[in-house]
Amino acid sequence: MDLAFLSMTFLRLLAALPLTLEVWALSVAIGAVIAMGLTWMRVSGSKILSAISRGYVFVFRGSPLLIQLFLIYYGLSTFAALRASFLWPFLRDAFNCAVLSLALCTAAYSSEIFRGALAGVPHGQVEAAKACGMSGFKLFRRIIFPIALRQALPAYSTEVISMTKATALVSLVTLWDVMSVALKIRNDTAVTYAPLLVAGAIYFVLNFLIARAFIAVEYYLSAHLRRRVV
Amino acid sequence: MTWFDLLGFGPKGWGLALLQGALMTLLVSMAGLIVGAVFGSLVAWSKLSGNRPAAAVGSAYAAVFRGVPELLVIYFVYFGSSALLTGLANLIGIEGFVGVPAFAAGALAVGVISGAYQGEVFRGAYLAIQRGELEAARAVGMPTWLMFRRIIAPQVLRFAIPGLGNLWQVALKDSSLISVTGLAELMRVSQVGAGSTHQPFVFYIGGLALYLVLTSLSTRVFDVAEARATRGLRRPAS
Amino acid sequence: MSENGTSAISVVNMRKSFGSLEVLKGISLTAQEGDVISILGSSGSGKSTFLRCINLLETPNEGTVTVGGETIQMRKLKDGTAEPADRKQVDRIRSQLGMVFQNFCLWSHMTVLENLIEAPVHVQKRPRAECIDEAHALLKKVGIGDKADYYPSHMSGGQQQRAAIARALAMRPRVMLFDEPTSALDPELVGEVLRVMRSLAEEGRTMLVVTHEMSFARDVSSRVMFLHKGLVEAEGPPAELFGGSKSERFRQFISGQAQRAD
Repeated sequence: MDLAFLSMTFLRLLAALPLTLEVWALSVAIGAVIAMGLTWMRVSGSKILSAISRGYVFVFRGSPLLIQLFLIYYGLSTFAALRASFLWPFLRDAFNCAVLSLALCTAAYSSEIFRGALAGVPHGQVEAAKACGMSGFKLFRRIIFPIALRQALPAYSTEVISMTKATALVSLVTLWDVMSVALKIRNDTAVTYAPLLVAGAIYFVLNFLIARAFIAVEYYLSAHLRRRVV
Repeated sequence: MTWFDLLGFGPKGWGLALLQGALMTLLVSMAGLIVGAVFGSLVAWSKLSGNRPAAAVGSAYAAVFRGVPELLVIYFVYFGSSALLTGLANLIGIEGFVGVPAFAAGALAVGVISGAYQGEVFRGAYLAIQRGELEAARAVGMPTWLMFRRIIAPQVLRFAIPGLGNLWQVALKDSSLISVTGLAELMRVSQVGAGSTHQPFVFYIGGLALYLVLTSLSTRVFDVAEARATRGLRRPAS
Repeated sequence: MSENGTSAISVVNMRKSFGSLEVLKGISLTAQEGDVISILGSSGSGKSTFLRCINLLETPNEGTVTVGGETIQMRKLKDGTAEPADRKQVDRIRSQLGMVFQNFCLWSHMTVLENLIEAPVHVQKRPRAECIDEAHALLKKVGIGDKADYYPSHMSGGQQQRAAIARALAMRPRVMLFDEPTSALDPELVGEVLRVMRSLAEEGRTMLVVTHEMSFARDVSSRVMFLHKGLVEAEGPPAELFGGSKSERFRQFISGQAQRAD
């Protein structure tokens, strides 16, 4: 394996990384917002909202992301009404469809993580806050959210890493991400292993960095759990 | 053509093909899970054995296959094993391209990924066994292999059921990626149907619905299995 | 008596049911400023529920709670239960009642100091610097002045409970509510908390204390209330009740407690 080929491959894949990262960042962020909405619906006390939320999670966690992606990218275009609407310019773009699909999928998994984290907030601490006269958004912002956030981080980091791996699927809907470029190099040069290995290494390093970042945040937020430094 | 015609069992209906695809999905996922169990047991053993180099290899394997996209692994295994096979075939005089069967490549890929996670499930399940039970087996003079067969393995399986249930669902969903190799599992059939009838929405909804059936049935099966397996265990009071 | 003659806290005919189970069957209590009322009873008597209904952590089905002359407005619901009519009033009244919980319930992600200034700054909207100074003074007063930047998990149970008492005091409450403050503590740590509570009583704080500590009930309180199955079975100054109460059940209760203490 000659070095020139490897470095050319590496550089070409690196050039595709921004697209991968864009898809990842947008879908994680949008998915988190949707997830918060879903979790809120679930704990709201309304039977209807809770049922909708549970139904959503069932559908998006019970089916593969690939079929959801194809459904949105290929399936929505069959509706003439949709094509005529104001949404069409948005939805005919592969990038938008991909981000939308990934966001909807991660929202289902994330909302379960958030729900578990909320349930894990010690009830006594919430009562103590209420007993001091805290309620509503203030109670959520000062007491419930900080504790729930710390509970959610480990599981959520796993989900975020799943999302970087999920971005590889956008190669199947005409986007030129790292995965697509690796396959193209393989097709063009008939070299089987190298492009895939280099791409794998790039994803691996990316996930490693993300995992590290989460560990750092968890460390910063968990002074109360460590042994006291005298 | 209505939905019913397209997805049904009439002359132009794809209902049978979709069900066959679903069956293929089940088969390849099962094969993948079994391959994963083999790899996972090896990883768990390597970490529990106390042998540092082995544990390092096990950890590296798990880290690699948790850190790279599943789609990439499937391409790698499929193209890579085909290239290997072609190379071997060329050596013994067979010309041209020799492809590895998509089912085998797909099951291997899904298995290799699943094994990275199953390692942790088995390790945790083993550690959950009361030390006292193993000591009691030793105390009555049980040889190691018998202890493994009669005491350890059944208990590991019992504790592993929740984790395995989860990983089974993951395998079912990962198997949809094998469609890129052309294997006629549910995703591929949906895709072919969508393409040939120009009705993507119908077929992807149909396929999605079938996946939901598979995953919810699986949840039921594993819930029953877990209930039966934990019959004798003392559960925390509420 | 307070300046205008109203009591510090007054509860009239409180009733509470959980589904079909009636836990409080009509309990009334009036405390003047400086009163220290110990509420005793065996488990199931409703004493904790009673205390929690006062600051509406549980909502009573019937009855009124009046703090410093202000009555909490309630409205009845269709299914027979009730709810507070004015959320803001509830929050306001809660900030005048300092509650100390059996399990301390300090906010685990905050230091002790942050725990103490949280409500004064964010609920009572007092200036931060003033709250910090007062917090330090309170911590010194309860004997953990050096633990201001410790996290709750780094302290013993007794220290945590004293911090929790300081947290309640930081709100400058009109009345303090104690829900079995020493029940979750190891025996050797109970004393330090009782000492703090005693000094608060001697200062003239108005305190409602649900407790199993007979020594506190007998030696420190100005009044004792004995609950049995949701009703007030006996009430009066400690000397009267502990000296030989008319209530057979109460006599059985204290002898049972004495046996347990041996």
